[in-house]
Amino acid sequence: MVELKLTKKEAYMQQSMENIKSNTPFSEFWRKFKKQKLAFVSFFFILFLIALAIVGPFIVPYDIAEPDYNNVLTGPTAEHWAGTDAYGRDIFSRIVAGTQISLYVGLTSVFLGALGGTFFGLIAGYYGKKVDAIIMRGCDVLLAFPGILLAIGIIAILGPGLGNVIIAVAIFSVPVFARIVRSSTLAVKSTLYVEATKSIGAVPRRIIWKHIFPGTLSSIIVYFTMRIGSAILTAASLSFLGLGAQPPSPEWGAMLSGGRDYLNIAPHVTIFPGLAIFITVLAFNLLGDGLRDALDPKIKD
Amino acid sequence: MFRFIIKRILEIIPILFLVSIFIFMFVHMIPGDPARLVAGVDATLADVELVREELGLDKPIVEQYFTYMKNLVQGDLGKSLKTGRAVSEEIGARFMPTFWLTVWSMAWAVIIGLLIGVVSATKRNKWQDYFGMFGAVSGLSLPSFWLGLMLIQLFAVKLGWLPTGGMETWKSFILPAFTLGTGVAAVVARFTRSSLMDVLKEDYIRTGRSKGLSERKVTWGHGLRNAMIPVVTMTGLQFGFLLGGSVVIETVFSWPGLGKLLIDSVAYRDYPVIQAEMLIFALEFIVINLIVDLLYGILNPQIRYE
Amino acid sequence: MKKIYGLLSAIALLMVLVLAGCSDSGGEGKGSDDGKSAEKVTKEGKDVVVAVASNFTGLDPHDTNDTLSNSAEKTMMEGLLGFDKDMKIIPLLAKEYSANDEATEFTFKLRENIKFHDGTPFNAEAVKVNFDRLADPNSGLKRHSLFAIIEKTEVVNDYEVKFTLSEPFGAMINTFAHPAALIISPKALEEHGKEIARNPVGTGPFKFVEWKPGEGLEIVKNEEYWQEGFPKVDSITFKPVTENGSRIAMLQTGEADFIYPVPTEQVEGIDGKDGIEIESKPSIVVRYMAMNTLKEPFDDKKVRQALNYAVNKDAFIKVVMNDQSSKLDSVIAPDVQYYAQQELYKFDVEKAKELLKEAGVKEGLKANLWGANNSSAIKAMEFLQQQLAQVGIEVEVFPMEAGTLSDKIWSVQEAKDADIELYYGGWSPSTGDADWGIRPLVGGEDAFPPNAYNVSYYNNPKVNQLILDGLQTADDAARAKAYEEAQGIIWEDAPWVFLTAENTIAGKKNYLKGIYLLPDGSLSVSELEIVE
Repeated sequence: MVELKLTKKEAYMQQSMENIKSNTPFSEFWRKFKKQKLAFVSFFFILFLIALAIVGPFIVPYDIAEPDYNNVLTGPTAEHWAGTDAYGRDIFSRIVAGTQISLYVGLTSVFLGALGGTFFGLIAGYYGKKVDAIIMRGCDVLLAFPGILLAIGIIAILGPGLGNVIIAVAIFSVPVFARIVRSSTLAVKSTLYVEATKSIGAVPRRIIWKHIFPGTLSSIIVYFTMRIGSAILTAASLSFLGLGAQPPSPEWGAMLSGGRDYLNIAPHVTIFPGLAIFITVLAFNLLGDGLRDALDPKIKD
Repeated sequence: MFRFIIKRILEIIPILFLVSIFIFMFVHMIPGDPARLVAGVDATLADVELVREELGLDKPIVEQYFTYMKNLVQGDLGKSLKTGRAVSEEIGARFMPTFWLTVWSMAWAVIIGLLIGVVSATKRNKWQDYFGMFGAVSGLSLPSFWLGLMLIQLFAVKLGWLPTGGMETWKSFILPAFTLGTGVAAVVARFTRSSLMDVLKEDYIRTGRSKGLSERKVTWGHGLRNAMIPVVTMTGLQFGFLLGGSVVIETVFSWPGLGKLLIDSVAYRDYPVIQAEMLIFALEFIVINLIVDLLYGILNPQIRYE
Repeated sequence: MKKIYGLLSAIALLMVLVLAGCSDSGGEGKGSDDGKSAEKVTKEGKDVVVAVASNFTGLDPHDTNDTLSNSAEKTMMEGLLGFDKDMKIIPLLAKEYSANDEATEFTFKLRENIKFHDGTPFNAEAVKVNFDRLADPNSGLKRHSLFAIIEKTEVVNDYEVKFTLSEPFGAMINTFAHPAALIISPKALEEHGKEIARNPVGTGPFKFVEWKPGEGLEIVKNEEYWQEGFPKVDSITFKPVTENGSRIAMLQTGEADFIYPVPTEQVEGIDGKDGIEIESKPSIVVRYMAMNTLKEPFDDKKVRQALNYAVNKDAFIKVVMNDQSSKLDSVIAPDVQYYAQQELYKFDVEKAKELLKEAGVKEGLKANLWGANNSSAIKAMEFLQQQLAQVGIEVEVFPMEAGTLSDKIWSVQEAKDADIELYYGGWSPSTGDADWGIRPLVGGEDAFPPNAYNVSYYNNPKVNQLILDGLQTADDAARAKAYEEAQGIIWEDAPWVFLTAENTIAGKKNYLKGIYLLPDGSLSVSELEIVE
């Protein structure tokens, strides 16, 4: 069903795009992006997820917090498409309502991490020497902190809750982004055109933003999308260790790890939230690949 | 080059010093009273105070720090608050299991990851590419505890081919190394692909092609070598992560490694063990980063060490 | 387009595989059920593997305070007294004992001709060495406080020893039966000092071989054990396996012969399959939700009783405990000494609402519920949240990691400043005596954090007096009377929502016999044997 809709939509988009026929950078990007079929599908799937995140809680067939103790752990049926959980709550409804939370955790934490990491990575890579050494050693210290300990520390200091999970995941992302951006910066810096710009006397801020940052963008985007998935998975691991979202939140990771005790008697309790996570991460990754190809000015077809 | 290495090695000492202060502060900032946790829930206040005194936790924090540093300089990591064993002994027993698990996981993951990445990049938008990337994304999208539990269900419980956990024979390595390596293989594959695709469009590759070099030689010789920088960074990072021990995987497969020791120590606020483990991770990271930086130079002579 | 279809069908295929894999594992288990449960599984050799949930913290009984380490210590060492299957006290290294009426003097006659594993003879002098160690305030031992009350230990003759207490303590006999009072070889104690935790030597049925923290503990048969015919197996290996699913898988594959605990959720899934037998028995562990009686509105007895009426214990047992537990009908569990049954607060939402109204509590009252962050505690708290929502109380659940939680509970200096409102907890009185089930939890001001575990800050002078009465005599009838009255008052005052008395659940292969969990959750292996 879903795939059919998407292809129809896509055909429509193609048609409308042909009608526009312009040569702005955006249309150039769009033309290239359309060619990335998988990414294109993922893009609409993610739009669909975002829509679901907004309206999800209002359209679910069952109350996501209302227990039904006479109907616990039933497998998928016509009434309960994904079965019910240990309290007899409808798993399908909880997954739909949980889209909001999982997307929110994934996007916010990675965005914050990428913001910090890119800033430090660019500066370290561009200026080199002492600045580089200080920033990179700082990253080493942060990276040497096992993520789990960092998470426990932050959550212990700030208290349990989703917001603090986001902060923990974001902090953990900063040094990773910094290192990736720095290594791309080094590569871009050593290419001819930056050397040339430098020799005509451009100011550092301009060089960084106009010439180096775009060069690092593809790495950032690829890693950004990969990281959204792993942020959602990290939230799940935190739930596995009892540090995730507070009950009765239908965060997918919490549902997944909450169901693991029932793995051999009621596998549906873990499978459906697991699939939700799986497909979402898949979509973000495929989108990332597509965006990367479309954004890269060097790609000619 | 040689001077660079010496310089970096000398740099390690002040860094470790800073790290040790940072770690000490962070660990003590986390709420929780080790004396209470070691004494247990049904301990009386008198018990707790006794334990506190016994463990030297009744002293002012600054004094505790200086004692810790003094011992550290002499190479003494202290004693575990929980078991009373020397920390070096606790960690020593747990290091090798994590090390070997890391090595085996990385070994298969890097080989498979590189292969998938190169094939995907050269067969871009062909079925090999889709198949390879789909596999890679799958590897990244599965929560590892779930994958581990499923593998145990299938290969240990249903088929009876492999043990469920522990570290007795070479067979015990298969499931945890597979589970641990999946994510790494995926990351390596994706980075290899995207980086190699970038490089294959560069001018010198086109030059190579136009000079009549075979496609294979261009890809494996020139292309891959230059594409390796981000891949090496990523692999180094992953190696460092894994050496720290995976809390989740070691829990699922009851692996007697550092990750499990860490989570147990955190639960008891066993400061000396946590501090020592973190210092070791920090050292590992610094060394790995040094190696990574050196590899940059070998892979791309344009990068100069200043 | 083709590629997309290809990919989508690949995804679909993967899903099908995953689904098939899962339903299959469930399905086959059931299918083979009829064949397998009838067929008895067998075992070669006499070496048994036991998988447990966490690491031992040490093997010095005087310096460990977790039930798991105690279980391991009991295989190698024995006390003067011990507990049987039902927590009744039985003599072990002592033949008989007596106490004076004031509960200040206790005399033991010892069994003769017993040797420690290192050849040292067991006698009154050995007993004295052990209790002198425990009673020494400078020992730094975690179990010192249980024995601090011993003023002196005297050797009457080679096989008779007399303890004098500094004040009357009626529950002392239970303390002597506690695993903390196991007797260690005096020679080994002298030789190893604190290192005895890694070199335990006792008189028990098994001898220590090796302990690798994180990997396991191995013990072998003591050929010269004083109880004729025991032990009946050659060796036992304990392995720590934290993850529930992995531990169960080990039992299914036969890598482990006995596992505990088995999570309640899994009982139904594995019982009777692959030659597995589940043993689920009442324990002395109580589960409750404490209410801070110093805080509004929980300072009102009506509110506390209302909450007791508002929680459906049948549903709690079904949903949270998977029927592996029974309703708690006093502040202590039935297997604890001097337990007195109370009349249950029946589930009645209307009555609860009425009581709340009388107490002037308005709809939409907010309260915070604290508890541990393991999956079963989270499950219980989520259930309580749902139940209290029915009477208009909005509960926010805070699962906390062990260190954080203990800090929140115990760093309180002034009782009135305590942040705690509701707390989901559990308690196992390790001495098996009413005193240790009541005094630390609801024993008035003396038990307020940070002194002890009275998180409901319950302080009823009458109860405090009765607790004191119970300790000042060794006379059974007098003690029983005091505790009965105390339990009645506590029940009426309802500082807790009384939930359940938990079961201990172990899983074993059906060729094992004589291995069982005691109601305090510790393991007994001295009668373990392998049958065909």
